[in-house]
Amino acid sequence: MFLAIKEIKREKLRYGLIILMIFLISYLIFILSSLAVGLASENTQAIESWDAKQVVLNKNANVSMSQSLLTKDDLSKTKLTKNEALLGQTPVVAKNSNRPQVSAQFIGVKKDQFIYDDQELIAGRKAKKDREVVVDQAFQTKGYKLGDKLELNGSANKYRIVGFVKNAKINIAPIIYGSLASWRKLRQGMPNIKASAIISRNANYSYNHANSKTYPIAQFIKKLPGYTAQNMTFQLMIGFLFVISLIIIAVFLYILTMQKMHNFAVMRAQGIPSRTLVAATVSQSVILVVVGVIIGLAAMWLTAKVLPAAVPMSFTPQIILSGTCGMLLTGIIGSLIPVRSILKVDPAKAIGE
Amino acid sequence: MAVIELKNVQKVYGTGAAEVQALKQIDFKANEGKVVLIMGPSGAGKSTFLTIAGSLQKPTSGQVYINGEDIANISAKQSNALRLNQIGFVLQAYNLIPFLTVKEQFELVDHVKKQGNLDQAIMDKLLEQLGIAGLINKYPSELSGGQQQRAAIARALYANPKILLADEPTASLDSKNVDEVGQLFKNLAQNYQKAVILVTHDPRLEKYADHIYEMMDGEMIKKQ
Ligand SMILES: Nc1ncnc2c1ncn2[C@@H]1O[C@H](COP(=O)(O)OP(=O)(O)OP(=O)(O)O)[C@@H](O)[C@H]1O
Ligand SMILES: [Mg+2]
Repeated sequence: MFLAIKEIKREKLRYGLIILMIFLISYLIFILSSLAVGLASENTQAIESWDAKQVVLNKNANVSMSQSLLTKDDLSKTKLTKNEALLGQTPVVAKNSNRPQVSAQFIGVKKDQFIYDDQELIAGRKAKKDREVVVDQAFQTKGYKLGDKLELNGSANKYRIVGFVKNAKINIAPIIYGSLASWRKLRQGMPNIKASAIISRNANYSYNHANSKTYPIAQFIKKLPGYTAQNMTFQLMIGFLFVISLIIIAVFLYILTMQKMHNFAVMRAQGIPSRTLVAATVSQSVILVVVGVIIGLAAMWLTAKVLPAAVPMSFTPQIILSGTCGMLLTGIIGSLIPVRSILKVDPAKAIGE
Repeated sequence: MAVIELKNVQKVYGTGAAEVQALKQIDFKANEGKVVLIMGPSGAGKSTFLTIAGSLQKPTSGQVYINGEDIANISAKQSNALRLNQIGFVLQAYNLIPFLTVKEQFELVDHVKKQGNLDQAIMDKLLEQLGIAGLINKYPSELSGGQQQRAAIARALYANPKILLADEPTASLDSKNVDEVGQLFKNLAQNYQKAVILVTHDPRLEKYADHIYEMMDGEMIKKQ
């Protein structure tokens, strides 16, 4: 520790640059991780808010809720408890002459079922009539107000916003919660349709009559359009960033160590044990990483504060923890690479040079 | 008993065409309380001799005894401890750690050797004698060559070793400083019972020596 700190203090510029680089890398890792988590959560927020465990869809719908239609016949054998809810989903474009257009997902629910019951309002009240809707807070950030009327898919019917809900996004689109009857109207021309899906909070729920098929929620989420590809892209980028930071830290420490070989030889000649020199190198890189990551965390915290709510970033404690541990681990591994050279320093090299 | 004794020591660097016989059949003894001077032209093998006497490297053949103990086969760890506790080196050049102040050079020793280092009062007196008492918070790059050399001497003495080995300790000192440092070495030998071995080209040190050896092409001849 003594050697590590003294050297950083004396060589401020050199070590400052390394800290700068570690800061930039960890900042990038934090941003990408936050974006990945944020986007993933915008895909699944609503599903998580429903606490869904199983979902029943039309077996020909390729596990897609907005493609799925369940008819009277498909649903003829259902027994719905308080843990099941019928739901109709369809993509819509919401219009209001004074506000920006919004691509959204209309979700029709029944008033006596849990999805309706559990809606967490941040303003207004729940929808009571067919022409009333509650919408995701994204509408609020786009300037919509309570009482605004929405025209959906150019239909003649107008729907009045009576409430705003929290965490109501599916597949990155904000949700418009209305009634199942309104959903049926939006899917006009489809006779006998009752719903898109049954959502169940019971992990053992299963219903497979006619065209109905039950899927576990994990499988359903994996099949959300773009979800898996998006997550994999982020994981790949974050993984590469860790590899790059490992290489950078390792290369820099290696170069630094090579430049310090003469000092090491002198210290070995003085009888300083090589253990002390190795400890100095490892603790030095831990100090550099810790300082770099702390600055990265601070910058990230600021970024999260000033970024508009529209950017789907979610800077969670998990990201802080795993990002910090990941960087520390990389730093330690990087600093272990030149250890072999330190152990092999020839103290006789210190003399007569 | 001799503090340092070399018997029949040979050192060969390289093999085949690149082979260099740096030391040929060296027999040498140094006792505590004495200053020994080793002189000779460049390439004679003086530094090689010093590294072997100070357990920095091993001879190709022959025995080296420190305090009567054969150090030919000790481990790297043991030879490290030996250097830390028994031997003080003043190296030919660049022998201070560049990112530590003079004072911190001593503190580094405190970190790895907790006991038996010189106490503050003796240290202050030593620094005074060396004329660097006012420079202890300076980094090596802020010192002149001569000041660096004197700081290196102080550092070598800090761990209170029995044996002091110095390679060209007066190379960048002027005559006045040479006399002071020569007097200091003599004083260390006579009053602190140290065995002082100095490798040098500098005839100005001759008057402080109890024994003088001349080295030439890897061989050593006693002159005085
Ligand atoms: N590590 C080494 N590998 C190969 N040859 C070496 C090595 N160290 C020294 N030599 C050779 O051994 C001989 C003695 O070198 P040494 O450094 O002991 O001389 P020296 O008397 O200290 O010279 P100087 O007064 O210039 O410091 C020289 O011929 C030198 O080239
Ligand atoms: Mg030499």
